[in-house]
Amino acid sequence: MFSEQAAPTAQGLLAPPSAEPPTFPRVPVSGYSDCSQPFQLGERSFSRQYAHIYAVRLAGMRPGLEQRARSRWGNDIALRKLSELQAGEKCCVVGTLFKAMELQPSILQEISEEHNLVPQPPLPKYIQPSDELILEDELQRIKLEGAIDVQRLVTGTILAVYGSEQDDGRFLVEDHCFTDLPPPLPWNGPSSDRFVLLASGLGLGSVSGEALLSTQLLVDVVTGQLGAEGEQSCAAHITRVILAGNLLSQNTQSRDTINKAKYLTKKTQAASVEAVKMLDEILLQLCSSVPVDVMPGEFDPTNYTLPQQPLHRCMLPLAGAYATLHLVTNPYQANLDGVRFLGTSGQNISDIFKYSSMDDYLEILEWTLLAGHISPTAPDTLGCYPFYKSDPFILTECPHVYFCGNAPHFQSKLLQGKEGQRVLLVTVPDFSATQTACLINLRNLTCQPITFSTFGADGED
Amino acid sequence: MAGARGKRGPGAAMADELYLENIDEFVTDHNRIVTYKWLSYTLGVHVNLAKQMLYDYVERKRKENSGAQLHVTYLVAGNLLQNGHVCHKVAVVREDKLEAMKSKLSTVASVHVYSIQKALLKDSSPLYNTDYDIVKTNLQHCSKFSAICCAAAVPRTPPDAPRVPAPAQSTQGQRDPDAAGVVNGHGPPAAKPPPQQHGGIMGMFAAKAAAKPQGTPKEAKAEAKEAPGVSAASSKPPIKNNIMNNFFGKAAMNKLKASSVPEQPKEEKEAVKPSVAVAEPESSPNTAAEKPGKKTESARIQQKDKKSKTKRADRSDDEDERDPESVKKRRKRIKQLQSDSSDEEADVPLSPTPEEERAPSPPPVSALKTELEPASTEVSAAGRKRKRKRVLKSKMFIDEEEGCMVTEKVYESESCTDSEDEFPKPKAPAPHKQPVLPTKREPKEERKNLKKGAAPANRANKQVSIMGFFQKK
Repeated sequence: MFSEQAAPTAQGLLAPPSAEPPTFPRVPVSGYSDCSQPFQLGERSFSRQYAHIYAVRLAGMRPGLEQRARSRWGNDIALRKLSELQAGEKCCVVGTLFKAMELQPSILQEISEEHNLVPQPPLPKYIQPSDELILEDELQRIKLEGAIDVQRLVTGTILAVYGSEQDDGRFLVEDHCFTDLPPPLPWNGPSSDRFVLLASGLGLGSVSGEALLSTQLLVDVVTGQLGAEGEQSCAAHITRVILAGNLLSQNTQSRDTINKAKYLTKKTQAASVEAVKMLDEILLQLCSSVPVDVMPGEFDPTNYTLPQQPLHRCMLPLAGAYATLHLVTNPYQANLDGVRFLGTSGQNISDIFKYSSMDDYLEILEWTLLAGHISPTAPDTLGCYPFYKSDPFILTECPHVYFCGNAPHFQSKLLQGKEGQRVLLVTVPDFSATQTACLINLRNLTCQPITFSTFGADGED
Repeated sequence: MAGARGKRGPGAAMADELYLENIDEFVTDHNRIVTYKWLSYTLGVHVNLAKQMLYDYVERKRKENSGAQLHVTYLVAGNLLQNGHVCHKVAVVREDKLEAMKSKLSTVASVHVYSIQKALLKDSSPLYNTDYDIVKTNLQHCSKFSAICCAAAVPRTPPDAPRVPAPAQSTQGQRDPDAAGVVNGHGPPAAKPPPQQHGGIMGMFAAKAAAKPQGTPKEAKAEAKEAPGVSAASSKPPIKNNIMNNFFGKAAMNKLKASSVPEQPKEEKEAVKPSVAVAEPESSPNTAAEKPGKKTESARIQQKDKKSKTKRADRSDDEDERDPESVKKRRKRIKQLQSDSSDEEADVPLSPTPEEERAPSPPPVSALKTELEPASTEVSAAGRKRKRKRVLKSKMFIDEEEGCMVTEKVYESESCTDSEDEFPKPKAPAPHKQPVLPTKREPKEERKNLKKGAAPANRANKQVSIMGFFQKK
């Protein structure tokens, strides 16, 4: 998008100094509202059991699913609860999935002394052919078999199954369905080109410094220092930057104080302190030029459970002085110039990746949208706050841009729904590994990756 | 020539020559890597102008002297088909790879000079370092010369005025924020953000950072930094004092100063010597000012008796904070009778003298001083219901140099109504500590001592019961 507009003046700076160079004003944000209130926790109490989340999740999604089931299998199908099942009767049941996995890490097994087991090392995927699916509703549970892909589904999904109970007590599934895309939101997008830059996984504080120049190049492009005039004027159309998590690298997570002897670690400071200072400087450069939304990620200094609360402003004294810095939750939902954004820093997708046979982050992202829930595996395998009144991760409206951060590669897809939904799915790649960020054009919901490269000792790009 | 330059005017001609000379000087004489950003900040010009200047210089230099040792890196940006997408690629390339890169791109969006240097660069990290340094020194106006200006980027108005004005006491040994006591091997942090003058918590940091550095020696600072807020504070440099003062405001300051002063003679008596004290006569009033946390504790235990004082004479090697604390507590009572205004004067003249006297005293004791104390207080408190127990507590303070809050877990005396087994602790650790002391001068060792002292102390605790019986008599 940039290149075509910028091409005419590409070589303009390969010339002696001429007239006073122009300065382009940044296109102002015409409408911004933060819709992440459901993800902001005020007073937190962890003295509750997690069963309540499942109860409210099922209660919240049941009506939608029942409607979907009727529209799919006919208005006259029998909707039964598990307790009302009769053997052989074809009916539809709505419930929560539970996948019994042998390899799923279990803390009880780890600490069980009678087993004398060494804790299982983390695996990339925990699926096994012997996994089983069980459907649970408010009162009972039943094993599922039949036309249902056990490997693909994960615990915590709410779905409707159509089939009948067998004599051996299992439910033979003939068909199943999810809530599908949520109802669409009206489109109020801008009529001229406006860009939003999505980046994630800056990975500051890592031992390797190669990505640092690329990060600096990214900042320079956005702030208008880099590039010829055409490119700079295009960059002035970037109205917002969203940093989707993992601003700090995983290396900052190591806690020497646990492993090393005390005399070696006395007065050592955590690696994250230095990394946050670097982050502060980078954010200062960005904030002095463009509004920035900073989402925390897996390795950032905030709470572990989803929804992650915003980073605290006191950690970023320099950048925090600017009103353009917005510290937001993970997941994050906002209206930018009339376009609804919804996204996470990637923990939900990578957790599903571990427990499902789906390999492609974009496929998983799309699947969560169709399943109607941002993170079905929470709280089973992903930490989550014990909600009890309502589950904020249920998708009630269809966003226009749905992204996840820290993916292995960049992928994007425009999904069209039956009810007129138009969603741009974007998997934002990990910047420290790929040096790639995403530019989204709000006018036509297109996405272009932007890659940075420098020259290394071996001299290729 | 004149015609081509006509539109720029005569004054501009001079400026033209000047920048060429400047660049020449930077590249050839200083052997610098001149990036466009560095040039832009140094000469105070728009980034695009800097890029053009660099290009102009390269062209002219090469025309004059084709063998000139000049290596140039370029920035190329454009569309590239990669992995099935058309992605916008931005790359910094060496001159020899420029054409290759341009041919790879389907559309070229921009090309300009990125940097000039004399030597051939093997990789791009020197470019990053150059830019990093210059941006670091210009953080306040990092977008001044950029091609995009954002109207929305204005500093927030602070919700409230800075909480506490920077304490003006010159007697406070203000740590020089840049003379880094080394923490974790990091030297004076180049990465430290410049202090911001904003309100609220920012104001506290600003006040600290802006404070005049006193001529405190490095080890003093290092020691101060390491000092866990607790006991160490007694003989430690006053840095903590400042920070805590900010937390608690001016009113607390007076109290602290009052307590610190009586502490000094007391410490002297016990041959407690902060190693730092040697170096900082002026910081005396602030030294020994316990953490406010401790203060509140001591405030509670007002009834600290004269008995403790006499008993204390026995424990000459007992440095624990508790002793100074009880001294402080005792004195505090007396001081409170006086008017506040007299406190300050009384404090200041007193402080230098004890400091000087302390200075010559043998250093090793300083190491000891840390928290080990427990017992003496208990002994002194024999016969009363309150006991002092050693408790592992977390102390929070603002680390001057890093500009961040630090939490340290530290053993600290705490009064409790549990009256048992405490007293042997000081006795037992004392003999242990003696031999250990001479080796430990370094501030960093203090905490180690603390922990070591704590261990034997705790062990000694266990056998206390029977002795406790006798002691109570």
